[in-house]
Amino acid sequence: MTPFIFAFKLLIAVPVAIVLAMTSIWYIWESDNVVLYDSFAQKMFAGIENYGLLAIPLFMLTGELMNEGGMTKRLIDAARVFVGGFRGGLAYINLLANMFMAAIIGSAPAQIAVMSRAMVPTMEKEGYDRGFAAASTAAGGLLAPVIPPSMIFVIYGVLAQVPIGDMFLAGIVPGLILVVMFATVITLIGLKQDFPRGTWMRPTEAGMALLRCLPAALIPLAIIGGILFGIATPTESAAVASLIAFLVGWLVYRELDPKSLFSIFQRTAINASMIIFMIAAASVFGWVVIYEALPQKLAALITAITDNPFLFLLIVNLILLFVGMLIDGIAAVILITPILLPIAMNSYDISPFQFGVVICLNLVLGLLTPPVGIGLYIAASMGDTSAGRILRSLWPFLIAVAVVLVMLSYFPSLSLALI
Amino acid sequence: MLKRISAGWARIELAVAACLALGVTLLILLNVVTRSWGAALYWVDELAIYTMVWMTFLGASAAIHYGNAVAITILTDVLPPALKWGAAKLVDLIIFAFALFLLWFCWRWFAPLGLVRAGFDVSAFQAETFNFIYAEPTLTLRIPKYLVWLVMWLFALGATLHSLAHLLDFSSEREAPETP
Repeated sequence: MTPFIFAFKLLIAVPVAIVLAMTSIWYIWESDNVVLYDSFAQKMFAGIENYGLLAIPLFMLTGELMNEGGMTKRLIDAARVFVGGFRGGLAYINLLANMFMAAIIGSAPAQIAVMSRAMVPTMEKEGYDRGFAAASTAAGGLLAPVIPPSMIFVIYGVLAQVPIGDMFLAGIVPGLILVVMFATVITLIGLKQDFPRGTWMRPTEAGMALLRCLPAALIPLAIIGGILFGIATPTESAAVASLIAFLVGWLVYRELDPKSLFSIFQRTAINASMIIFMIAAASVFGWVVIYEALPQKLAALITAITDNPFLFLLIVNLILLFVGMLIDGIAAVILITPILLPIAMNSYDISPFQFGVVICLNLVLGLLTPPVGIGLYIAASMGDTSAGRILRSLWPFLIAVAVVLVMLSYFPSLSLALI
Repeated sequence: MLKRISAGWARIELAVAACLALGVTLLILLNVVTRSWGAALYWVDELAIYTMVWMTFLGASAAIHYGNAVAITILTDVLPPALKWGAAKLVDLIIFAFALFLLWFCWRWFAPLGLVRAGFDVSAFQAETFNFIYAEPTLTLRIPKYLVWLVMWLFALGATLHSLAHLLDFSSEREAPETP
């Protein structure tokens, strides 16, 4: 009975957090464990008493601050210095700028929104097809949750009880592979489509662009450096990054008005609380998962099919591609991790880091696939084009991600090299 | 009337949540600074976590008012208007039921009547109910933990208020209140 009620509530658009909580309440009632109600509220509270989760509001704050502070423009200019002269230069600039941005912003929808607004009109002005411009920007947004910092990795790390700093490290190599794959896709499309020619900047211009971007470049340095060298926890580096973003936007670029801080903090508070509240609800939902012995039942089913970890990951990938089409990435990770991670670790001996990278990348891919592709719709509305037109140019990128997913599933070392 | 109280209360919740988000940022920065001086303050981490938890529950309650929680709308988006309206009402009802449940859970957990019956004598209360909520300390802050847990009441009451206001709102076209 429980699964039907669960599915029904999800489908009539009850908020995911409430679905999790009400399913738990229903299950406790049905199984006559009413004494669990006494500790229900406490359990919800305890589920988010977690140091790692502090990083979520802080990374969101950093993103908001750099949006308001004019940092995006400078990063794009700096990317122009390195790849601007190639044929189709702007397409590579887009990719490279997305890579820089991914080291600052931790969420794909946020990054797609920022970058589409900045890149799509510029690319179209230089003669690119608008659908392709929006598609390459949307694909670039997928780097955000893989290259650290990453909101979805913070959440996965908390759920899987692995150090978030290590989870971030696990994402670096896969992120770089994605960049190379996307660059290859752009080159291949360029062979067919004949991109406009780019121009190299004059040395003085290039120097100025790099100089102007320097303060903004402090942010990814603070975040990745702090974590990589173990100086700061991800939470601390997020706080430092938000301070830098504020100071640079306010004092150096002079685009951030301290008066807008209150609304920035309001947006941060409400967006962060929606996600953290889902985790609180998921922690009581954990009861249902444990008492119903869902992982064990599912494990018995899957181990009967295969005992090969690679095949297992392929099956998981197929299932999750479907799940990701229907459910938002972060919500899906919160739903899926408690069920599938125990199977991956106990029955197949898969490292939680590798598993995390694979399922997170897979589920954020869902942001770009219809029918529930938030990223796709954001790119469409910000880039002023239709989702269908973006999809026509997007599919090679989606295939590239699928190839990366298979690679990550087959070679654990790609995720584990830096840990 | 109820609608206006709900909107006003959501604004307060959101304003407080914004201040708490600022608080989280400042506390973590304080931590970075004091640690680099080699004089880390041991209570900052715990305080920052509680600040975040308060922010979360106040923000989540406000999110019920603003109706912008994460939900799957793939099916409801294509329903005809009448069915869509019915589904939305059903969702309001489920959220309201959840809020009432949570109030009940808080009641069972804090057991205010039991405490009164024991004459506010915590040890007598514990001897009778085996409920140790009022004895639990925080790890580093030196305040009893039930004070921190009180946010669950705020959340339960806020969620009840906002969901009831939605539930009783029978206008055919509900405008979602603008999030700031």
